[in-house]
Amino acid sequence: MKSHDLRFYALTLLGLIVFPFAIHPIGGYPGLATQILIVAIAAVGFNLVLGYAGLLSYGQAAFYGIGSYVALLTVSKFFPSNPNFWLAILLAVAFVTAMAYVIGAFIVRLYGIYFGLVTLAIAQMLYFVVFQWRSLTQGADGLQGISAPSVPFGFASLDLGSSLPQVDLGPFGNLGDVHYWYPFVALVMLLVLAFMRTLTRSQFGEVLGAIRENEERSMFVGFDPARYKLAAFTIAGMLTGLSGALRGLYEGSTSPDSLTVDTSGSFVIFAVVGGLKTLFGPLLGTGLIMYLENVISAKTDAWRLIEGLIFVGVIVFLPGGILGSLRRKRKGGGPRDVLAGAVRTGPATDASVPRGVTR
Amino acid sequence: MATILETKDLGKRFGAFAANSEIDFSVAEGELRAVIGPNGAGKTTFFNLLSGIADPTDGEIFFRGEKITHLAGPRRVARGIAKAFQTANVYPDETVFQNARLAALAHTQGLFKLELFRTSHRNGDVDTIAREALELVDLQAMSELRAGDLSHGDKKRLDIAVALATKPQILLLDEPVAGMSIEEVAKTEHLIRGLAKKMTVLIIEHDMNMIMGISDSITVLHQGKILAEGTPAEIRASKSVQDAYLGGHSEGHV
Repeated sequence: MKSHDLRFYALTLLGLIVFPFAIHPIGGYPGLATQILIVAIAAVGFNLVLGYAGLLSYGQAAFYGIGSYVALLTVSKFFPSNPNFWLAILLAVAFVTAMAYVIGAFIVRLYGIYFGLVTLAIAQMLYFVVFQWRSLTQGADGLQGISAPSVPFGFASLDLGSSLPQVDLGPFGNLGDVHYWYPFVALVMLLVLAFMRTLTRSQFGEVLGAIRENEERSMFVGFDPARYKLAAFTIAGMLTGLSGALRGLYEGSTSPDSLTVDTSGSFVIFAVVGGLKTLFGPLLGTGLIMYLENVISAKTDAWRLIEGLIFVGVIVFLPGGILGSLRRKRKGGGPRDVLAGAVRTGPATDASVPRGVTR
Repeated sequence: MATILETKDLGKRFGAFAANSEIDFSVAEGELRAVIGPNGAGKTTFFNLLSGIADPTDGEIFFRGEKITHLAGPRRVARGIAKAFQTANVYPDETVFQNARLAALAHTQGLFKLELFRTSHRNGDVDTIAREALELVDLQAMSELRAGDLSHGDKKRLDIAVALATKPQILLLDEPVAGMSIEEVAKTEHLIRGLAKKMTVLIIEHDMNMIMGISDSITVLHQGKILAEGTPAEIRASKSVQDAYLGGHSEGHV
């Protein structure tokens, strides 16, 4: 392992260990830390779609919501006599990944706003399917009160809902406030970040970046942009499905709310505020917004308004998101359009190429 | 010499307007062929049909005898048909070297590779091909510059280097010297002569002095159709070509 790899793992691990306690003095709590990490997995996946592939997907909630349903149905309906935690995760991720691949295959040739609208429409369709398929999903009520099975690790098994031992940490709360969910989810996050870090530096990530920078040139050096985008969309779907499955099992419940436009919009906001095309940006954005929501919505009903102002403020004053702006300040480059790839209507840079929805 | 690229009755209609029609065209391996014609003659459309940017509405295209009429652009590049663009088309935020590297990478890996866990730097061939391509256009000294910061002429030569790094068998050059200074034109002309010894070159150009000097043969397009074909001397002497240029909105006189 190289030294910069070691530094990445050490610092990330340290951050994840400190996180649930560091937010204690400012009104946070370990349960919130767990929720943030779970949702951030989807935001990290969204970064791959919008940040690295330049596709503005406005329907990630479909993958998130369906991931939660499949995981909970696996436990409560498909295998009620012998519920298995890993099987629930596996089926949810496999199903959502396949779904993302099939949907993606039809739409990755669309550009910009057209891509966004179609993902929105598909997510809305799936929302209504989940809403109406009462026999399976219990409609508007959603799935309730399903306890996550203990997690088998080899011979032993662990109930993630049980608490860590009581140790007083002074102003940082008590170790016993933390359930085993947190270290489990933190480990998953570490793996997800390591995966994204490797992927964005890989040959695949290099070509994906080239396609985003100049799609037409990329086609005419001999890359197939559609297949790269489909792969990115599918991998993002996989991570979003994982996020949804964990959220469902963690809460023990899910509802059609998890598939709404609101949820999709949240992923966009999280990733953009934190910083697209940065490894930690989506995690930071998710943490910041969810923390503020938690603190502010306890005091006022105007949370949505404030969230919107934050989003607009970041786009106007910190193009590239919080981390993106920091990085650029360090490198000394000029500001860049944060949504540059998403608002394009076509790959064309040569006037001779017909522009349009697709070609 | 064997035919490398051929079209039969090739046409492209945009509604009622035929940008190209009834084009029967063939290039022999190793030839340096120019395609000329007054503005609006359909030259760029013809190149777009050959490179796969546009889809023909009539006729067929063959590459080494195989039909490629409706083959997607990236697949044509993989077979050995590369293109340099009329307006230099490079990766502006990448270095000059990385521009050539990406093309070399496409050549070595193919259309798509799900290589999620390894970088491209393990494959030394990629760097070698990229370096060779930059040397051919004499840009190796600028390897580490940002492509977007290059001068117009250097950017156009980088565009050619990117095409070369795909290891083409036939190179399509769309107005390679347009907008260049006299010195740059001379340099690029020298470059094209050198390339023509290694591969088949097809070139659209308005600079008649250059075209007449370097081409093995010339195809003249007029109103979307082939008006004349022949050696530079034959084209220069052709009455119908002179009429087309004088009658059309000509920029350059033959």
